[in-house]
Amino acid sequence: MNNIITSFKIATNALSKNRMRTFLTVLGVMIGISSVTVIVSAGDSIEKLVYDQMASFGSDFIQAEVRAPKSSGGSLGQAQGIVITTMNENDRQDILDLPYIDKAYSSVTAQELVSWSGNIKKTLIYGVSADFIDIDSSEIDQGRFFTEEEDNNLSRVVVLGKDVKEELFGSNDAIGQNVKVNKQNYTVIGTMKDRGTIFFFNMDELIYIPIQTTQKMILGINHVISITSQLNDSSRDQEAVSDIQKILRANHNITNPDRDDFEVMSMADAQDLMNTVVGGVTLLLIALAAVSLVVGGVGIMNIMYATVAERTFEIGLRKSIGASKKAILQQFLAEAIVITLLGGIYGILLGIFMIYIVYLIATYYGFAWDFSLSLSGLVLALGFSIVVGLIFGLYPAKRAADLDPIAAIRKE
Amino acid sequence: MIELKNVYKEFVNGEVVTKVLQGINLQIGRGEFLAIMGPSGSGKSTLMHILGFLDNISTGQYYFDNKNVSSLDDDILADYRNKKVGFVFQSFNLLPKTSVWENVRLPLLYNRGKTDLSYVDKAIKSVGLEHRKNYLSNQLSGGEKQRVAIARALVNNPDIIFADEPTGNLDSKSGIQIMSILHELSKMGKTIVVVTHESTTAKYAKRIVQIRDGEIVSDEVNKDVISTETLKGQLK
Ligand SMILES: Nc1ncnc2c1ncn2[C@@H]1O[C@H](COP(=O)(O)OP(=O)(O)O)[C@@H](O)[C@H]1O
Ligand SMILES: [Mg+2]
Repeated sequence: MNNIITSFKIATNALSKNRMRTFLTVLGVMIGISSVTVIVSAGDSIEKLVYDQMASFGSDFIQAEVRAPKSSGGSLGQAQGIVITTMNENDRQDILDLPYIDKAYSSVTAQELVSWSGNIKKTLIYGVSADFIDIDSSEIDQGRFFTEEEDNNLSRVVVLGKDVKEELFGSNDAIGQNVKVNKQNYTVIGTMKDRGTIFFFNMDELIYIPIQTTQKMILGINHVISITSQLNDSSRDQEAVSDIQKILRANHNITNPDRDDFEVMSMADAQDLMNTVVGGVTLLLIALAAVSLVVGGVGIMNIMYATVAERTFEIGLRKSIGASKKAILQQFLAEAIVITLLGGIYGILLGIFMIYIVYLIATYYGFAWDFSLSLSGLVLALGFSIVVGLIFGLYPAKRAADLDPIAAIRKE
Repeated sequence: MIELKNVYKEFVNGEVVTKVLQGINLQIGRGEFLAIMGPSGSGKSTLMHILGFLDNISTGQYYFDNKNVSSLDDDILADYRNKKVGFVFQSFNLLPKTSVWENVRLPLLYNRGKTDLSYVDKAIKSVGLEHRKNYLSNQLSGGEKQRVAIARALVNNPDIIFADEPTGNLDSKSGIQIMSILHELSKMGKTIVVVTHESTTAKYAKRIVQIRDGEIVSDEVNKDVISTETLKGQLK
């Protein structure tokens, strides 16, 4: 114990005699450790953000979405302009016949300008069935959502997202006013509560129009792009996925599942997919962090080697007056640990500062970003820095310990 | 205290084998003041390094206090270097940018038993450098540096001091000063072994061993050993 304290005393003494070199090595480690701190914390925050948003959808629904068949290139084919027109209102009605599904909504989207008394805004029209408001966690602020009857009658009614309402009407009352969409008048029957940004999309910039109105009056189409169904018994989600697949295959005349022109996913499936993605991202971040630590470690090793070469005489002298191999090894390991520990502490402080900056930026852009510092993460970073110091300090220290004192002294 | 029996030492560097010591037999008793003399390259330093546990022998035996040195492990040898012997080199070998006090303290750092720092001041005082103890080693004259080296060799109160050409880098006045310090230490009972090729330095010793090409060619009592009175006169 006494020895170890002595080793650290000798080490700090030697380090303080070479301030510049010490500073530079500490700086290298500091950058490594601070990036680890930031990466780990950012990973945590992103993961939490993603899961919170997933949870905000609820867990008891099934999504059926059009998708180009695998044989024609899958989503890639779709991106290249293949439009799938087979999914439509009939599919939704058949899905609604399933005993454990009471509600389902279809959707289409369209980009249009919406205007009111000279104010114009570019928005995304979300054409949905009336069931949308019961299934989705979006809520009405003022007025009401449209009814199934209005949908069937191709009524020209619209519900405005919060940002759209504010930009067009400011503090004026919007309910009952007529806005122009695609040169037609639509009556505002409701406005939505604040929903925020979900997966990088600002939900408050949507306007909601009955799906059939959107299909017939605006887009001139018959198909939909997705059908979202709510289960009244969430334990039957896998059964629902396969039943819906069967319905869609029958309606679309598909016998070979490889030619499916849709994809059906339960929330659990989506969660699995997300886990895979988040897991991959986390792995990537860990790899990045490891690389930056190894870079820091190699830096330490380099400087320690240079130190040993430069201090051959000192090492030889210490051995000649009674330092054992063990004592020299301890001294140089202690130096490496002191350097990495200092680098670790300053690196963590710098990391916390950078995490705070990221937090400020993320919040500024409207993300529900957490300023999260996990104590275990910090302890881990610090522990890791010591381990790096030990591992990369070991070889140079061993070389120092094995120096022949006579040869070392004679060099001077 | 020291016994070398038929000691050989050779250095092997790849293909090249340098035979340096060739059958050395030597006994050194407690309290002796011994000078080892010989021309440059005759193996004096090598012998000293072996005696001071800084190097090992190729064949033969080295007994220190009746212990076979070849059988001791690195930890024990380090401890011997630390406590049993003090080494003084021709080129001083002080740590640069480091104070006199810290240089003298150095062996204490590796002494597991002793941590009493008053020994440092005592050692510095015994070589008359109290007024320099906070100087950095590079601010000293050659003679002063060698006195610091002697203080460092003394700080753990060893039984024996090895000095390898301690006056070799010094002017004659500083050389006399160093030798008179060793003379004092000898009078106080320390065993002193000094290597030199100058007879002016050797005359302080009570016994002179001559070495040529790694062999001892003579080992005699020094009849012309300098008297304390003469020494005092020289120092004035
Ligand atoms: N490590 C070594 N490797 C090879 N030869 C050496 C080594 N050390 C000393 N020598 C050789 O051993 C001989 C004796 O050296 P040394 O003991 O230093 O002599 P001295 O001190 O009497 O001048 C010299 O020829 C020297 O070159
Ligand atoms: Mg020599």
